[in-house]
Amino acid sequence: MKPRTLEIFSIVFAWIAGLILVSAVLVLLGYLFIKGYTSLNLSLIFGDTPPLRALLFRTRVFDGLFPAIAGTLVLVILSIVLAIPIGISTGIYLAEYAGSRIKRALDAFFDVLSGIPSIVIGLFGFSFAVFLHKQYSNRIGPCLLISSIALSLLVLPYIIRTTQAALEGIPSNIRMTALALGATRLQNVFLVLIPRSLSGIMSGIILAIGRCAEDTAVIMLTGAVASAGVPRSVFAQFEALPFYIYYISSQYSDPEELMRGYGASIILLLLCALLFAVAYGIRKGLSHFVFYRP
Amino acid sequence: MKKIGERVAERAFFLSALASSLITVAILVFMVFMGLPLMREGGFYQLLVKPWAPYQGAFGIYPMIVGTACISLLGLAVAFPLSLGCSFLITTIAPKPVSRVFRRLIELMTGIPTVIYGFVGIFLLVPFVRELFQDGSGMCVLTAALVLGIMITPTMTLFFCDSFARIPRSYLDAADALGASPVQKLLYVILPSARKGLLNGVILALGRAVGDTLVALMLAGNSVRVPESVLEPARTLTAHIALVIAADYESPEFRSIFSCGVVLYLFTLVVTFLARYLSFAENKKA
Amino acid sequence: MKKISWIQPLLIISILLLVCAPAFSGSLDPFQGEKGVLKISGGTAHIPVMKDAAKKIMVMNPEIQISIAGGGSGVGIKQVGEGLVAIGNSGRKPTDEEISRYKLVLHKWAIDGVGPVVNPKNPVKALSKSQMKDIFAGKIENWKMLGGEDRKINIYTRDEASGTREVFWKKGLDKGEIIPGAHVVVSNGAMKSAIAQDPYGIGYVSVGHIDATVAPVALDGVVPTIETVQEGTYTIARGLYSNTRGEPSGLTKKFLDFLFTPEGKKIIEEKGFIPVR
Repeated sequence: MKPRTLEIFSIVFAWIAGLILVSAVLVLLGYLFIKGYTSLNLSLIFGDTPPLRALLFRTRVFDGLFPAIAGTLVLVILSIVLAIPIGISTGIYLAEYAGSRIKRALDAFFDVLSGIPSIVIGLFGFSFAVFLHKQYSNRIGPCLLISSIALSLLVLPYIIRTTQAALEGIPSNIRMTALALGATRLQNVFLVLIPRSLSGIMSGIILAIGRCAEDTAVIMLTGAVASAGVPRSVFAQFEALPFYIYYISSQYSDPEELMRGYGASIILLLLCALLFAVAYGIRKGLSHFVFYRP
Repeated sequence: MKKIGERVAERAFFLSALASSLITVAILVFMVFMGLPLMREGGFYQLLVKPWAPYQGAFGIYPMIVGTACISLLGLAVAFPLSLGCSFLITTIAPKPVSRVFRRLIELMTGIPTVIYGFVGIFLLVPFVRELFQDGSGMCVLTAALVLGIMITPTMTLFFCDSFARIPRSYLDAADALGASPVQKLLYVILPSARKGLLNGVILALGRAVGDTLVALMLAGNSVRVPESVLEPARTLTAHIALVIAADYESPEFRSIFSCGVVLYLFTLVVTFLARYLSFAENKKA
Repeated sequence: MKKISWIQPLLIISILLLVCAPAFSGSLDPFQGEKGVLKISGGTAHIPVMKDAAKKIMVMNPEIQISIAGGGSGVGIKQVGEGLVAIGNSGRKPTDEEISRYKLVLHKWAIDGVGPVVNPKNPVKALSKSQMKDIFAGKIENWKMLGGEDRKINIYTRDEASGTREVFWKKGLDKGEIIPGAHVVVSNGAMKSAIAQDPYGIGYVSVGHIDATVAPVALDGVVPTIETVQEGTYTIARGLYSNTRGEPSGLTKKFLDFLFTPEGKKIIEEKGFIPVR
């Protein structure tokens, strides 16, 4: 008797859990799209400014998402550019060169780094900015550069881990082949191993891009503001999409702004979905490309 | 020539690794350094148990610690059964095509930004909780915990599924050989063996719940008092940092956020090492 | 922010005045030929005026970049004192200690009030001062004790950096207690949104921010509106200050001067404040 009821209970329980989760997501997405689809038009992004002039940076956009979108774009690019070299080098070191004790120690460090709450990293970025401000130059404060540095710290573990996993996942016969033919370790890494693990590394980078685009806590403390226009220099304050959504949700001054908030949410969601699709496509497509290169 | 190139490259890689790991330590050092004046005069332990009342000179973060504990644990309590059930579905109970689609959906969910959960929570869940319980404003521990739970469920589910997949083949074959149905296999073989993996997932999810800022900031009301019921507003350590960052750089209020940072960092350390210990123990079996 | 000689803009202004027909009153002319970045932060009550003024200036001269952040009066004062921003707004007069520590120069360009607000659906729209003090201290806990529905009163207050809070606490509550269990919001805009969404909430907000989404509460018979603040019958009032570290120059000075021109004053009035003569 008993075993049967437990099994039946588990089955019911599992289906209910699945149903709850799926309905929660559908409600979330549905609510956003239903409430927000009316706001999806060019004036959401460009406000009253004609799009062409805004894109050429001739006129500043007010009441539109363009500065926030531009800000997020610049921020992501800058952070990834900072994070990639260090991340990939570290991943290579961990996979190829590190002895097992160093590896375990470094592993621990990066586990801790990946677990640090994003606001703590933002706090670090903020205190770093204050430190620079006091010690070096009055012109430095929380700005695009500091935010990018902090964000690159946030996503560094992603890139390190995926690079390391991708490299370690290469079967040993492929790993040994070039070495057996007389290539140096470095040549092996750059000419054989990296191209082989490119898809893994790329999906790590895409993951990092997604994380940078959606993070709010870090940029909140290091230079994102409510109104700044398209960032003209790395020492400027900037707007960003997730910060805009947060700001609007707590302090919208009229229904129009609220609608822009909905529109911004939809755009951010679409951006993340796009990145996800790209990552998926890369994992499937790039390995094809790499394997069947003539 | 080549040899030098090799050595330089190896050095460069090593330096990157060193830099990355040192940053981890640097973060802690910076925070202790900036928070030191307050910690020294207040005594770090004192800070942890005193309430927050800046106008009376009290800069303790005790209410925030309680707030974090309540919201995270409640969120975990919501997420654990959901994740368990969903992982059951994906691995065993649902038919293959359904489970594939479901898994895809959950992977997609992990990409939804936190701020969007908060945004929808404010406009959808807060009024709902307020009307349902006819009490309070809807901005409370419960609302934040519910949204937090839904948010960490996908990651936890995927982790559980991976843990289930790591069970040694021999166990599964043995169960099949004895004529167990899939559900019986799941309940009596996979689940007990994956115990450590499940615990690992719970601990990591707890780390994530404690470290989240936006959900609590937007949904939990941010009051400075220890909440007396789940329908009362509360403030977490993370939200406190976000709220107080506005003050000046010398005041004790400002320095108190560094003690929050230190507490959060130490918690991360504990979580990380616990999780590592558990995964080593699990791997030793395999 | 470089110092620019006055002669060029002066010449340009005179020529423009002679040539230009659309009489904008020339308030924006000093910004011709200027370029640079202006960082503003601080009081959230000031933000609508700042945004509008900045918009007009930036539309007129795209070389100028003005960024505006909030944070509250405390933040504004500290940040301008530390040199992180050029203009720090505050909704309360900086203390003597702050003025001497940061060498602040004050520029008061408007008068504003701080009034208690409730949700428009709430039938309770008038309170006596002692009732209000009891509400915020937690002694009156339920709306039914005031003639409203049988629901707990949800109190909303501001964070510690807020000048609005300071003024309300000093003049409205006579430095009485605000219960620690109150919800904390971070700006006037946030207070408005919170009250607009909570039928059982009570909070306080800059009078200039009050619109149809929230209902002002009459205090001892006086409804907080711009008129009553101006007449002096509503006493919980404060000045809106823009503070600079030392005397302002260049773009900063021009921006501040703009607030005192007729066009600047028009913006201030539009946003619901009383421009200073």
